[in-house]
Amino acid sequence: MNEVTFTKGLESLNGNGPDIAARTKKAQNPESFGNMLARSLNDVNQLKLEAGEAVENLAAGKQKDIHATMIALEKADVAFQLLMQVRNKIISAYETVMRTQV
Amino acid sequence: MDFFDALHVSSSGLSAQRLRMNLISANLANMNTTRTKAGGPYRRKDPVFAALAPSRSQSHEASFREMLGNRQKEHLKEVAVVGIVEDSRPPIKKYDPMHPDADGNGYVAMPNINLMEEMVNMISATRSYEASVTAIKSAKDMALKALEIGQ
Repeated sequence: MNEVTFTKGLESLNGNGPDIAARTKKAQNPESFGNMLARSLNDVNQLKLEAGEAVENLAAGKQKDIHATMIALEKADVAFQLLMQVRNKIISAYETVMRTQV
Repeated sequence: MDFFDALHVSSSGLSAQRLRMNLISANLANMNTTRTKAGGPYRRKDPVFAALAPSRSQSHEASFREMLGNRQKEHLKEVAVVGIVEDSRPPIKKYDPMHPDADGNGYVAMPNINLMEEMVNMISATRSYEASVTAIKSAKDMALKALEIGQ
C-alpha cells in the first residue's frame, strides 16, 4: 500500500501522474503573468485617474464632499502601494536569478 | 467584501453626519426666526437615517463568486438619509408687543429650539464623524499592514 502511494507520488513528480496530466491540460491556455500585470497596472491607473478627477471636481466645486475626494485619493494610494510591493517582489526575484553562479 | 467596501460604508457615514451637522447649523442659525415660507416660526429639523445595503451592479450573468459576494454584502449596510423631519413641538409664545410678527395679544411665536440640545447634537455629530474617519484610517492601516508582509 505504501509502495503504491510512493510510486504514485513519483509519477506526479515526473509529471506523468493522471492528476498532473489533467491539470496541465486544463492550464494549457493560462493568462500570462505579463497580461495579469498589465491588467493590474491598468486598474491602478484607473483608480489614479478617478482620484485626479475627484480632486478636480472638488476644486471646481462640482463635488461638495471633501471626504469623498480624500477617500478616492486613499484608494489610489493603497492600490499604488500594492503595485509597488508587487514590483519590489518581481525585481528581487529577478535579482536573485541574476545572482546565479555560472 | 473587499478593502474598498469598508471605505464606502464609512464614506456614507461621513456624508450622513455632514448632513446632520448642516441641519444643526440651520437650527442654530434660525433660533430666532419668526418668518418662514410655510408661515409661522422656524421649526427645528432632524435627519432620519436608515441602514441600506449598498447599491450593487446587477450583472446579466453573475458568477458564483459574485453571487456569494453579493450575499455577504447584504449584511454590510450603508447609512442613508431617507428624510428630514420637522420637530412637532409647538412654538414658544414670547410676549413682545413691539415685534412686527406679534399677534393681537402681543405674543410672538418663536422657534422651539433648545441651544443646549443643539450643542449636544453637534458634539454627537462631530464625534460620529471622527469615528467614521478613524474607521477609514484603521481600514487603510490594515491594508498597509498586509502590504508589509512582503517586506
